[in-house]
Amino acid sequence: MHPVSIVLGKEIRDAARDRRALLTAFLFPVLSPLLVYFMMTAIIELQTDADKMTIPIIGGEHAPALIQWLKEQDVHLEKFSGDAKQAVKDKDKELVVIIPDDFQQRFGELKTVPVEVVSDGSRTDSQPKVRRVHELLRQYNQEIGALRLIARGVSPDVTRVVVSQHVDVASKEQRAATALNFIPMYIILAAFVAGMGIAVDSTAGERERKTLEPLFINPVERYQIVTGKWLAATLFSAIGMALTLVLCVAAMGQVPLAQIGLQFHIGNGQMLSMLLATLPLAFLATSMQLLLGIFAKSFKDAQSYIGLLVLLPMAPSMYMMFNPFMTREWMFAIPMLGQHLLLVDVLGAKEVPLIGYFYSAASCLLLGMALVLITARLFQRESILSG
Amino acid sequence: MIEVKSLYKSFAEIKAVKDVSFTANNGQVTGLLGPNGAGKSTTLRILYGLLTQDSGSALVDDIDIKSDRLGAQQKIGVLPDSHGLYIRLTAREHIYYFGRLHKFDEDKLESQTNELIKLLDMQSIADRRVEGFSQGERMKVCLARSLVHNPPNVLLDEPTNGLDVMTTRTVREIIEELKTKNIAVLFSSHLMHEVSRLCDHIVIVSEGSIVASGTTDEIRAAAGEDNLEDAFVKLVEGGVN
Repeated sequence: MHPVSIVLGKEIRDAARDRRALLTAFLFPVLSPLLVYFMMTAIIELQTDADKMTIPIIGGEHAPALIQWLKEQDVHLEKFSGDAKQAVKDKDKELVVIIPDDFQQRFGELKTVPVEVVSDGSRTDSQPKVRRVHELLRQYNQEIGALRLIARGVSPDVTRVVVSQHVDVASKEQRAATALNFIPMYIILAAFVAGMGIAVDSTAGERERKTLEPLFINPVERYQIVTGKWLAATLFSAIGMALTLVLCVAAMGQVPLAQIGLQFHIGNGQMLSMLLATLPLAFLATSMQLLLGIFAKSFKDAQSYIGLLVLLPMAPSMYMMFNPFMTREWMFAIPMLGQHLLLVDVLGAKEVPLIGYFYSAASCLLLGMALVLITARLFQRESILSG
Repeated sequence: MIEVKSLYKSFAEIKAVKDVSFTANNGQVTGLLGPNGAGKSTTLRILYGLLTQDSGSALVDDIDIKSDRLGAQQKIGVLPDSHGLYIRLTAREHIYYFGRLHKFDEDKLESQTNELIKLLDMQSIADRRVEGFSQGERMKVCLARSLVHNPPNVLLDEPTNGLDVMTTRTVREIIEELKTKNIAVLFSSHLMHEVSRLCDHIVIVSEGSIVASGTTDEIRAAAGEDNLEDAFVKLVEGGVN
């Protein structure tokens, strides 16, 4: 047997018996799809809620025509009495519409009537409803305004200087993919989370339990020992990623995306592409953790360093969410960003250039190998055994 | 056979080993005796390839450790200073792991392991995970994994430190047994009575240098004391002065 496979076999056996490490490794892949499912379902519910909603209204009796019009738009109205602002503040009501007593009078005199929409700007969940109410009132305003102009022999177009028209070039799948931006993020995160326990245990843990000295007395090169540990951690990391991916996609299949006009379908081919696109990241993630594990004096010490490392994979995803940009081929070569781009493209059913797969895999593997060599060099220092 | 010739090793300002030379012959037990911090562990660590000397040479069966670390390590079995074990592996798995890393014949690994388990009287704990083992049980696992590949040279760093009488006796029996197999045994200790009982050849080190070496009789004669312990104290204190 080759020394690398001996070390690999031992580390896998050791890790498979470490319940705590297994739990932290695989809790994330199991929990993240659940999170995806509940988040997406909640978002969709909010949006569909806004379409068939009930509006609390004060003074509805002063504007029967408006009330009638709103009912025609499929809006349910409920009479509200009391302090509107307090009710919204107390979160009893998401919003309250107040129609003034002199609505009819001002309407008849062709004066502008102020209709108040009381809402709480700090509540994100009520925003779609508030927007919809404003939109409805604007629409009513336009209709009545147009009628008044026509009655005076003026074309309503006089007041409509420009009309904006919505032209969306994104396909339904692509729009779905932007909504799913966090799936790539979870998968990239899984690479770091799932391999962490074993990477730390086989470096800082060995050091803490004083097993490094007996291990180094064996006639085996240090780089072979590190490589065995690297591959073992990578295996766990890759399993974590694959699990996260498969479960997230399965969870997305259960989300009623069609209700918000989005489409989501992942075939086996796409699934395979995504695995190919992301698995090389496992090699890089664990090599970083091994290197940090060497620097740490103890398991706890290492965990706090590596906890910070987890923020790293979030960076490209976060950046893309707030600064969308055009993908260029060289971007695939940037670890983590490359995987993110590949995932977004595959999820969006876009054609991915083959070179993209090559760049992203090669950069991860090369960088990972470089870090493992550095780790092996550090393993060779005499001071590794002291303190 | 282990040969050490004018070995020097410093850590930053501290000169840990100064001009140490000795030979540990096959079929003999050589004792490296000295107070704590005398440089025993450093010398052994150079011999088993974890530290590199500043100058001088260390040979195991004529293989230079500095130039061919792996070749030399193949020829030694070591009970090092740290007795760390993998808490989730069984005693048997520890022995297998180290046997395989020494490229021991896979077909004979199981029977070899069984023999060691019998020799060390650890049948009842062989297939238990080592977490929770007593000090003596841990020591047995360490000994077994260091002997699994039938090394022609055995290095033991303070092998009886902190052990109870029963386990100490087992360790002594193992050392006697190794001697009969024509193996070169080198062990370090700070316990005079233990060294005098087991060793054919004693090397006394103090503050990194050798202050005396030879058989127990030769050591007594060199110090001019009848009692070996008095001789030891006199030699070590002489080295200090």
